[in-house]
Amino acid sequence: MGRREPYRDRIELLQGTLDMLILRTLQWGPRHGHGIAQMLRARTEDALQIEHGSLYPALHRLEREGWLASEWKKSEANRRAKFYRLTAAGKRQLSREQSRWRKVVRAIAQVMRSAEEA
Amino acid sequence: MRFFRRRRAKEEELEEEIRAHLDLETKRRIEDGESPENASRSARRDFGNVALVQEATRRAWGSGWIDSLGRDLQYAFRLMRQAPGFTLVAVLTLALGIGANTAIFSVVNAAMLKPLPFPESERLVRLFAVQNGVHLGGISRLDMRDLAAGSQSFEGMVVYDRWRKNVSGIGGSSDPEETVVGLASGTYFELLRIQPVLGRLFTPEESVYGKQFVAAIGANLWRTRFSADPQILGKTLRINGETYTVVAVLPDVVPSWMDQTSAPISIWTPYVLPNTWTEGQRAARDVACLGRLKPGVSYEHARSELATLAARLASEHPIDRGIGVAMEPLVDTRAGPVRPLLFALCGAVAMVLLIACANLASLLLARNSVRSRELAVRVALGAGRWRLLRQLLLETLVLSAAGGVAGLGLALAAMAFLARIRTAQNLPYTAASNALPQFWSAGLDLRVLAFALGVSAFTAVLFGLAPAVTSTRVPVVETLKEGGRSGGVGAGRQRFRRILVIGEVGLTLMLVVGAALLVQTVVRLERQNPGFPADHLLLAHVFIPPARYPDPDAISRFCDALGERVRAVPGVVEASVTTSYPPTLPWKQVFTIPGSPVSRADDAPVTRFAGVDARYIATLGLKLFAGRDFAATDTSTSVPVAIVNEEFVRRFFPNQDVLGRRIRPGPPEGVAPIPLQDFGSLSQDITIVGVVRNFMNDGVAQPPAPQLFMLFQQVPGLNFGFKDIVVRTSVNPESIVPVVAHELKSLDAEIPLGEIRSMETHLNSQTADRRFTTLLLGAFAGLGILLAVVGAYGVVSYLVSLRTQELGVRLALGARSANILWLVLRSGLSIGLAGIVLGFGGALALRHSLGSLLYGVGESDPMTFTGAAVLLLLVIAAASAVPAARAVRINPVEALRR
Repeated sequence: MGRREPYRDRIELLQGTLDMLILRTLQWGPRHGHGIAQMLRARTEDALQIEHGSLYPALHRLEREGWLASEWKKSEANRRAKFYRLTAAGKRQLSREQSRWRKVVRAIAQVMRSAEEA
Repeated sequence: MRFFRRRRAKEEELEEEIRAHLDLETKRRIEDGESPENASRSARRDFGNVALVQEATRRAWGSGWIDSLGRDLQYAFRLMRQAPGFTLVAVLTLALGIGANTAIFSVVNAAMLKPLPFPESERLVRLFAVQNGVHLGGISRLDMRDLAAGSQSFEGMVVYDRWRKNVSGIGGSSDPEETVVGLASGTYFELLRIQPVLGRLFTPEESVYGKQFVAAIGANLWRTRFSADPQILGKTLRINGETYTVVAVLPDVVPSWMDQTSAPISIWTPYVLPNTWTEGQRAARDVACLGRLKPGVSYEHARSELATLAARLASEHPIDRGIGVAMEPLVDTRAGPVRPLLFALCGAVAMVLLIACANLASLLLARNSVRSRELAVRVALGAGRWRLLRQLLLETLVLSAAGGVAGLGLALAAMAFLARIRTAQNLPYTAASNALPQFWSAGLDLRVLAFALGVSAFTAVLFGLAPAVTSTRVPVVETLKEGGRSGGVGAGRQRFRRILVIGEVGLTLMLVVGAALLVQTVVRLERQNPGFPADHLLLAHVFIPPARYPDPDAISRFCDALGERVRAVPGVVEASVTTSYPPTLPWKQVFTIPGSPVSRADDAPVTRFAGVDARYIATLGLKLFAGRDFAATDTSTSVPVAIVNEEFVRRFFPNQDVLGRRIRPGPPEGVAPIPLQDFGSLSQDITIVGVVRNFMNDGVAQPPAPQLFMLFQQVPGLNFGFKDIVVRTSVNPESIVPVVAHELKSLDAEIPLGEIRSMETHLNSQTADRRFTTLLLGAFAGLGILLAVVGAYGVVSYLVSLRTQELGVRLALGARSANILWLVLRSGLSIGLAGIVLGFGGALALRHSLGSLLYGVGESDPMTFTGAAVLLLLVIAAASAVPAARAVRINPVEALRR
């Protein structure tokens, strides 16, 4: 296959991690949905397979939980867009998710290490 | 509603958000060097399916129950569309049930529930004289004057009346019209809190005889006939030949039942009090009396005060002995004579609705058992019982809402139709005969709307709950294992359906019996022999105004001339001028039989009375069976003579030769004569010269009362301007009306011919309300039969479909067609019989409660009951015969292969 397959090297997102990623992205300041998508793309160097559309149900869910707040503002391209920012509850939730994530990574890493050693 | 609006805004916001994302992404890609088309396409590809994203986001919004409700609703609508036959039957059944209930409720609302159009109307009351517990129709003016003076409970009380009068000058027209004019003082309107739109109320001085020539008109009349002339005050009307100045325009708020007229009154003049009172006037207890209690005074307190005052009057005035005073809240006097009719109708429509509900419940049970597989699958896939229940109830709610809307439409159409056929003429109604139509209101009242809504919801629960509960008790495994064959679990359900249909049949039997009893009543009332040939008779009313005919002689001359002219009209056989005509001659006179003294006023003989001309007996066709008719030799100066009826003889001169007997006018000595009931203070004795056969003189439902006819020339004291004209024709009586009116006009252009109708129409109108009620009840009974037939058919044919295999086996084993036929028919008949047994008890109770509406129908009427039962059994047998015939045609081979 000579043609480059754009998504071949992409990783499917683990269940439940998208929320955490969004919260984390917003830690650097308010962003609209497109901005979050760009940020994730840049930070992951395009490695994560995130359909842009899938951000929106997550954003709305997080907003309903009270972790995000939103407002309509002019974007950098002079186009009105909905900006989301982290609330205080959102920050707390992020730190919870982060510690949970660390545990998961540690646990998986242990399993994988012992497998490599075997 | 707010939910949906907010929801809408959220949807739009999401769309905008997604659009913004796509725009920004496209822009970024163009900046990265992609071609615009490519950029846009890639942006969309990266985004994913927009509709799916929206759907997922919506789910994130929560408010899931409303969404799932929406989905259930969609599902319900889809089911309705999928089974159009079932939907049509269900919606139609509901529409008829709810429509009938709503239409009847609108009448009940107008007659019994709506608040009165007067402020603080609970303080408004009416007073009646009572004797031995019987209302005497009104109160005497003298008693009221004394009650008002002695009472502390009332802000005020006032008498009022209404009278047919000739009015001309309405809207500048010179043609006279006969219409009902209200007689009331300014106080009457003050007690009702009625403020004039223009002008002023009548002053107390205007109730003094000679000062009464002022009039108030209704705003509607003012608008329609005077084109809302702002200069109306000061204009004049001619009423009974006298000139009245308009001093007020009043809002049209006084309902017609207050005056017992067929339409609201629109012209009022002051109630004139006599200059002098005589003690005898206390006994004229027929005047309507309105009172308003002071704020905070309870009915009990006012009643006990009135009782004390009435006792004092009775001890002070011999004529008031035994007379009490009853007080009723004004609102309770509204429905009056139509109350029993309304109760009958309410009961009937409620039964129709119950039958409809039972029918639908049974249909739903059948349908749900067909769906039991679907329900089982849903349970297996994790649907909770509550979820299923909710969905099934929602389906019935949708059905009943559709039925409710259709029913409301039907009710509105019926109400509009009734209001349209109601006569526009304003006539006094005397009996219970024509009181109903005034309560037909075409408009949609909020209360009626709420009722329709409530009934629809109630119906949904009533017919939906039981089937839903039984159907959601799904034994999943068994149902699914049974494969395609449905309804196998429905033995209990089947029993429930049978019970429902049995109930239906029972209720239908009650309806049919009730309708049949009323039909017999009406037929009996209408078939009665009035005692004279009622066809080819024309009736009309004239009023000869005292302004231009001031004395009895002038009135007699006018009447003679009128009779003469009418008799000369081609097509007229005979004509008579009189004071009243059958079937009701309400005027009573008191007399004394010489040699039979009585001491108490109550014991004095009383007879019905009519002042007639010499052609009366011949015109009406009453049968003279002893003595002679009036003759030309009976004049105002000759000996007063009378013709009486058989009942008069039987009551007062039993087994005696009455011809030539004399009676003395008025009560015995020492008893105060009642004005207008003492033969006009006639001083000479009256000689009885003839006897006629009994005829209807006390209404269509009462046996004949004693009757006495005299020539009005011979009773000058009772010879007033109120006269009726009776014309016997050889042609259609209605056809000569223009000629008779013309003759009257050429005699006196200011006297109109009023209340024109044929005797047949008049007799018909006596039973109008009852006939109308009966018609409705008959229709409801028919509806009940139809529904019961559908119900029985449904159950029996379902039984056949369940037992197809069994029947096939029987046929294969050589059962004869007749056996199979009987097997199926029997199941239908057993339902019918059980229903009839159940309905019999109900029908007996119903028969009892209908008592006051019935006439001439025996207490236990075996024919009616048996007839209704047989009729019902026959139609149920017919309904079962169809599936029975299907059962006979079952092909055993196919049945067994199933």
